[in-house]
Amino acid sequence: MMFAAVAVGQVPVMPQLTNGPAKPGFDIMRFSPTAVGTFETFYVTQTESLKNALAHGRVAPDTRLLVINTAAGRLALITEQMVYHHIAQGRAGNKEWMATF
Amino acid sequence: MVPTIDGKLHHFTNAGLYDGLFTLYNAETHTLWNHVTGEAEYGPLVGRTLGPPGNELQMNAKRALDEDSSTQIAISDRIYFAGGHQLGTAGASGPAQGRGQGAANQGTTGPNPNAVMNGRFTPTLGKEDLRRPRMELGLGLWSANTRRYYPTTTTREYGGAFLDRLDGRTVLIYMDQASNTPAAVYVKSAHATTKDNDVLLDNGEVIRSGVLLDRAGKRLPMERPQQIFTRWYGFALTFPGTEIFGN
Repeated sequence: MMFAAVAVGQVPVMPQLTNGPAKPGFDIMRFSPTAVGTFETFYVTQTESLKNALAHGRVAPDTRLLVINTAAGRLALITEQMVYHHIAQGRAGNKEWMATF
Repeated sequence: MVPTIDGKLHHFTNAGLYDGLFTLYNAETHTLWNHVTGEAEYGPLVGRTLGPPGNELQMNAKRALDEDSSTQIAISDRIYFAGGHQLGTAGASGPAQGRGQGAANQGTTGPNPNAVMNGRFTPTLGKEDLRRPRMELGLGLWSANTRRYYPTTTTREYGGAFLDRLDGRTVLIYMDQASNTPAAVYVKSAHATTKDNDVLLDNGEVIRSGVLLDRAGKRLPMERPQQIFTRWYGFALTFPGTEIFGN
């Protein structure tokens, strides 16, 4: 299968914050923490052509995507999956990239 | 965005909410980062940026292939739906899915314009800009000198395509009909109209199926300003005092 794996072993722990500093205007009292790992970052290790994914029914023409430019060309992520992951990271064309949603 | 700091790869996760938006966190430096601008907001790396942000464009698969047939896709193991079928293996299915506000906000044709903010989000909001409805959808542009928000309703009122100026350059704001999503691209034109699903420019160029073509039908490169399809509250709190097109 051409599915890229999500990183495993992201055990939820609360973010370990320092006592500042804060960017001017940032009010840490309004920050509502979520246990790190509640939403697993999508670490992209494999990709396939979108054309191939469409031909094999892994996406439909109306599947909503988040499309970014990487050093190796355009890369699509499935919006419905990114609603959970929020973050995807990977490496393409010898350059790291990160997408957020 | 670039997840490297001083040349070293860092690993980012969602660590919580601020201004109703999720916040990036990296355990290597215990820093909170704004996920729209990439700026460090709290912690030892305040003053640093994970930039440049780069554009993250929302569209459907058909439009993505129209624009670039060599587009790659990465699919995680998380459950999703395509063509009426459930795919993926990880996580629960159904509207709850434990995914928070984001899942409730998404419809099959894009973000839900009538979504209501989850109660957990509201205490994290700063002083809201009440010039527009909190959950309204729009296109936000930002550059070195300008922050400007284009309500989707206004873009439709202007016929789904119009020209504006951004830092001395002409920018086309238009609705991509296939994906029901607003977008912006720099052009050299004085007037824009729509016909069927095309955006026609008075210099003879046309945007057809998401692709900019010259008068001979030859594909032209598309240069886009930094943009985000977002809700008003998120853009207004990220860029306080932003201009609003049409106001």
